[in-house]
Amino acid sequence: MIDYRARFRSNLAIAACGLAAFAVVPFVANSGLMFLAGLVAINIVFGMSWNLLFSGAGLLSFGHAMFFGGGAYAMALVSLHWPGLPFLLGLAIGAGAGALIALVFGVIALRRASGVYFAVLTLVFSELIHLVITKTTFLGRNDGLVGIPRPTIETGLFTLDLTSATAYYYFIVVAMACAAFALWCFQNSPAGRLIQAIRQDNLRTAFLGTSIFGWQLTAFVLSGALAAFCGAVMVPFTQIASPEIAYWTVSTQPILFTLLGGAGNFWGPAVGAILFGAIDYGTRAMHGLSEITVGTLLLLVVLLIPGGLLGFLQHRRQKKRRKPTEPAPKRTEAQP
Amino acid sequence: MAYKMNRRGVVAGLAATGLTAPFLNTRMAAAQSGPITLGVVTPLSGPVQLIGNFVRHGAEIGADYINSNGGVNGREIQLQFRDSKANPNDASVAARELIGAGTNLQLGTISSAVALAMGPLLQSEGGVVITSGAGTEKLNHENYNPHVFRVGDSPVSRNAGLVRHIVQSRPDIRKWGGIIPDHEYGRTTWKIFEATMRKAVPEMTGEEAVIAEPILVPYGSGDYRNYIQQAMRLDVDGIYTSVYGGDAVTLYQQAKPFGLFDKIDILLDSANEFLVATAMGDQTPAHWSGFHWYYEANKGNPLSDDLYASYVERTGDQYPMGWAAEAHAAIMAYAKAIEKTGGSTETADVIDALKGLSFDSATGMRHLRAEDNQAVKNAELAYIEPSSEAESGFEVTDYVSLDGENVVEPARPGEMLDLSAL
Repeated sequence: MIDYRARFRSNLAIAACGLAAFAVVPFVANSGLMFLAGLVAINIVFGMSWNLLFSGAGLLSFGHAMFFGGGAYAMALVSLHWPGLPFLLGLAIGAGAGALIALVFGVIALRRASGVYFAVLTLVFSELIHLVITKTTFLGRNDGLVGIPRPTIETGLFTLDLTSATAYYYFIVVAMACAAFALWCFQNSPAGRLIQAIRQDNLRTAFLGTSIFGWQLTAFVLSGALAAFCGAVMVPFTQIASPEIAYWTVSTQPILFTLLGGAGNFWGPAVGAILFGAIDYGTRAMHGLSEITVGTLLLLVVLLIPGGLLGFLQHRRQKKRRKPTEPAPKRTEAQP
Repeated sequence: MAYKMNRRGVVAGLAATGLTAPFLNTRMAAAQSGPITLGVVTPLSGPVQLIGNFVRHGAEIGADYINSNGGVNGREIQLQFRDSKANPNDASVAARELIGAGTNLQLGTISSAVALAMGPLLQSEGGVVITSGAGTEKLNHENYNPHVFRVGDSPVSRNAGLVRHIVQSRPDIRKWGGIIPDHEYGRTTWKIFEATMRKAVPEMTGEEAVIAEPILVPYGSGDYRNYIQQAMRLDVDGIYTSVYGGDAVTLYQQAKPFGLFDKIDILLDSANEFLVATAMGDQTPAHWSGFHWYYEANKGNPLSDDLYASYVERTGDQYPMGWAAEAHAAIMAYAKAIEKTGGSTETADVIDALKGLSFDSATGMRHLRAEDNQAVKNAELAYIEPSSEAESGFEVTDYVSLDGENVVEPARPGEMLDLSAL
């Protein structure tokens, strides 16, 4: 029987350590590194949103950039054209845009296809969104939307000024922590376990009276909303929304994070995103080497440790735990 | 208690040391008397990499020139390169990272979208950028930002100059079409081309110019055949194109078998310099191209001669292109400005020094207007033709250098470009 309380406590401890590490960054790092750390925090949840589909519902998405870009552009439009709207409402609109895109395309894709065909459909839809952005004057076409302001949040009791990069960085850390916590709660709720049951055996789960389509669509919409939320949070930080954030290359990022870190673990995409960020930073002055390094690492991980880095560590720990019960092998001394 | 050192401990210690290395703040570590670090954020991968490479060489040659002549007040110039991948998102990440590490003076931007995105970013982060070829008119008009400078020619000097020269030399060509990249730079160039042509043709010939709707082509597309077929259907005598970089090479190569260049009398290329010609050799269609810097037009200028000789020595390539001269000019501008500030590299001091600065470059003296941060420099054009005698398969048979004062538009920072004034 799984001890959910113990699981919650251990995950909370991991999250607290991660939060502390991110909170310390502005004190020990320069503003450039703090900026990159903010992007890594966003990428962590972006990766988790993809893994909700992959490891949770068993759906492979090659088009997560459409949600990320959708949320980013919705937030950019709200900030530039309706600056009077509350910032948190802008974030909700951003997440809602992702949910809406996921709902529309999810209804079509989940009814029509499964497996690799579903993955290809998501890629096609994502390219469609990218194309629409590059052809729409309102969205800045190929040039994107620039000069997106950072907000000031009026709560009634106090004013939260997020116009500086450091203040907004802390907002990102808090927002991403809340999103990760909500995701963890969902994945460990009866609904989350039901979605996992569909992945493990959809025929048997359907036989129990569950609507497979309905729950897969729910997972797709939730994943889309979360990815869009990440995009919406990112835009005031970078102060730019360009079509590249809705391009297929962005769709590959959460896949890379998850495969590197380990798809079977909730924190897998987080480890992958941090590692990816570190490689990107370490190879920033070696042009073209970043892609080669990430590609080689991914190849090694997939071939040698298919469970990702966390899967590998978990496997080693289990092996170690098993060892004491086994009889110790006889030590054979080398003969003189 | 004895401390035992084991392999795991050493590895962990090394890893921890390695992880803390990036957290050292170089701004704090840099001494006022140490080297001056300039950031070069330019495309070093992707379809525009070949232009980025010119920027890289130009900046390095410029820095070497300054350093070998005693540096700036005795301080050496060092360069930090970052790949912008020609997109605003990656460029802004790179620019922020550099500023965070203390490199507030930057150059190398060649994409208009990137240059426009840099203004608000550098203003909020406290940096300066000198573009090395961004061609949007918005930079010194409605999107003017005091933190962005352009040492190259404005799109008006380049394109209006090109159009006026063509109308004067070929007044018989009145029907024009265009193949334009569907982004900021492309739309800018077309707007200027069309407005100047509509004004210059009646002035010269007394007849109206007939200009077809431009064919907008996507950035980074590998297949332009549909667009070429559209161009084949146009009833025009001349075609103007501002498709650039690897895209231009693809477009020209794909257009050749269709016979597009045989169908028209004149081909105007706003900016590709030798890019298409070096790729196509003797298959190059005869065309006029705008140049940031054409070395033959600047022979005898020591900076130009040094840039050309150093470039050829480094690369073995006989055809350096103007983006190298723009990055080179950006280094010269920073060097002169820092000299003027008395050695200060603080953003506000350098901005003040750059405004109104006159400095020498590979194309002669340039003047940065204080009002809109736009350089006044001469606009250069060359006519490239295929040649069976030249080893490269092509040769320049004519070139023109237009005085910058005569072709640049009046400074109107914060206001849209007045097309009626072209």
